[in-house]
Amino acid sequence: MPRIMKSAAVVLTLLALIPVLMLVKARVTDSGRPRLSLVYDMDDQAKVKTQRAGALFADGRAMRPPPTGTVARDELVGQDRRRDGRVDTLWVETFPAPVTAATLERGRERYGVYCAPCHGLAGNGDGIVAKRAEALMEGTWVPPSNLVDAAIRARPVGHLYNTIRFGIRKMPAYGSQIGVDDRWAIVAYVRALQAAQAGSPSDLPPADLAALGPPPAPAAATTTATTTGTTGTTQQ
Amino acid sequence: MDSQQKDPRQGGHDPFRFPKWANTIRLPVTLAAALAPLYILGLLYLLFSPGATSVGYQPEQPVPYSHQLHAGQLGIDCRYCHTGVETGAAATLPPTSVCMNCHATVRTQSEKLQLVRESFATGMPIPWVRVHDLPDFVYFDHSAHVRRGVGCESCHGRVDKMEVVRQAEGLNMAWCLECHRDPVPHLRPEDAVTVMGYVPDEPQFELGRRLRDARHITPKTDCSTCHR
Ligand code: HEC
Ligand code: HEC
Ligand code: HEC
Ligand code: HEC
Ligand code: HEC
Ligand code: HEC
Repeated sequence: MPRIMKSAAVVLTLLALIPVLMLVKARVTDSGRPRLSLVYDMDDQAKVKTQRAGALFADGRAMRPPPTGTVARDELVGQDRRRDGRVDTLWVETFPAPVTAATLERGRERYGVYCAPCHGLAGNGDGIVAKRAEALMEGTWVPPSNLVDAAIRARPVGHLYNTIRFGIRKMPAYGSQIGVDDRWAIVAYVRALQAAQAGSPSDLPPADLAALGPPPAPAAATTTATTTGTTGTTQQ
Repeated sequence: MDSQQKDPRQGGHDPFRFPKWANTIRLPVTLAAALAPLYILGLLYLLFSPGATSVGYQPEQPVPYSHQLHAGQLGIDCRYCHTGVETGAAATLPPTSVCMNCHATVRTQSEKLQLVRESFATGMPIPWVRVHDLPDFVYFDHSAHVRRGVGCESCHGRVDKMEVVRQAEGLNMAWCLECHRDPVPHLRPEDAVTVMGYVPDEPQFELGRRLRDARHITPKTDCSTCHR
């Protein structure tokens, strides 16, 4: 066989490997280019979807901001105890709906999502974000309050509700992220955290107190209660 | 064979006859001819399979926002930002005001956050580049999955390890159907849907079956589920 045939075979085999290598590369590396479609079919239709850009309006926003002056139905500020947490200027002192174990469970979960990054899982103001931001020492960060402090324990529930909805001083508003019922559930859970850490053994029903055994009762009460508080969603 | 029988000279220089050495390459050439279509078809198949076309799509974003920092190191729950994920079809990206919850007081001077501050001041959204994008003729709903205990991780991978979001799954129809036919390997308790790197206490197989049976989780596979 002439040498040229052998070389040709070798070269051809090598050439055939190139697409394979390119394929392997395409599969293992990430790319900034969107996928290529052979046939576009109806992949991109002339309609606008949630949070996409659209050519209908000059500014390109498909989702329209509400015209100035409009108020969403559940954001009316008025006389509703449940929605506003206050009547006129008086903070509501009781929950607008009965607090059940399910409410507290929901509150614990929501607290873990929205409050724990700053206030910490136990409410002591030592969330991961707070610690990290303080470590940066930029001077702009305001430490989140310790939610079991006497001052905050003394706040009416309506005030706590309002804090979540509109924020307070340097704390941002969470009204846009958390719905009305979830805000109340969080308030209930904050109350539970406060009772757990600042309560006294005499707050417990006699049966539970007996189950705790003899002193040091205050310390024991604190630990059991805090562990229920810290089983929140951890994200590790 | 024919040439061998008819040409006793064997290997003469008649240009109209195959030279003798042609016999030795008969097998390789036949094999190559038979395999070539397979090679080309296989190549095309793999080239246009989601593994090559869709997985690993990682566009550059206008703000160097990092899930690895925020969701991973800072441990912020996905729902803090993607608030729609449990209640609606779209998970929704956070409005700029959510970034400003923290960045009004953290890294207030950062170059990297210039666009965020501009967006907050003008009210124009940050032009994030879409990563996961199904064709418009497919109907998908996050809440239907998240509320039934399918974790973000099953479809988006370890987002908490991504500096820049990258598409981890093909999002093709076969992929959807594979799980709709047997969701057991992906089911977890509802309070663990946003946990990354979730390890169940019991074997996933048992947990998944228990959850499926207890909650009657039966994803549908008829066409109108996703094409409506
Ligand atoms: C971005 C971090 C951050 C998050 C998240 C956050 N807070 Fe705060 N919170 C603060 C800061 C900072 C303060 C102190 C504000 C000040 O003193 O200027 C505060 C103060 C408070 C106070 C005390 C207000 C008072 O009456 O003095 C309450 C109550 C509170 N937060 C509740 C919550 C609840 C409930 C959530 C979850 C929905 C939450 N916070 C989420 C940062 C945060
Ligand atoms: C601090 C806010 C924040 C948190 C917390 C967060 N994300 Fe995001 N996420 C964003 C922003 C902003 C974008 C858009 C920019 C981008 O793609 O990087 C995004 C994009 C995404 C995308 C890609 C969207 C697309 O275009 O296809 C996915 C998937 C995603 N996030 C999943 C998650 C998951 C899972 C978690 C929880 C582990 C999480 N995110 C936590 C803010 C957040
Ligand atoms: C709950 C608080 C919180 C929220 C919400 C948040 N961040 Fe951050 N972010 C931080 C903290 C804390 C740091 C600084 C971490 C460090 O460097 O140690 C940071 C750092 C950053 C950085 C790097 C800045 C630098 O100069 O290195 C970028 C970029 C960033 N965030 C973008 C965003 C965007 C975009 C959003 C909105 C989708 C967002 N962040 C929402 C807390 C937050
Ligand atoms: C069953 C698979 C699946 C699960 C589970 C899932 N996603 Fe998605 N996600 C998708 C698909 C598919 C898209 C693309 C949707 C489209 O193009 O319409 C998407 C898109 C997104 C986007 C882009 C923006 C948007 O509004 O759709 C974000 C952000 C996101 N997912 C976050 C999450 C988070 C956070 C979770 C967990 C709580 C989650 N996803 C769970 C499949 C999933
Ligand atoms: C990891 C598993 C998994 C993947 C992947 C997955 N699904 Fe699902 N899907 C489910 C489960 C579980 C349900 C809930 C079934 C139930 O509620 O009984 C569901 C339900 C749905 C529903 C709601 C059906 C109804 O009853 O309204 C739609 C629509 C849907 N899926 C579309 C998709 C599409 C489109 C994809 C691919 C982009 C996809 N799914 C990928 C597991 C999955
Ligand atoms: C679980 C969700 C789901 C179900 C059920 C489903 N599809 Fe699909 N289908 C998809 C998704 C997602 C795509 C987009 C695939 C892609 O982008 O590669 C798709 C794409 C298609 C396409 C277009 C393919 C192309 O590349 O142009 C056709 C045709 C189709 N489906 C037909 C059907 C038929 C017929 C059925 C019923 C037997 C069905 N589908 C059931 C999710 C589904």
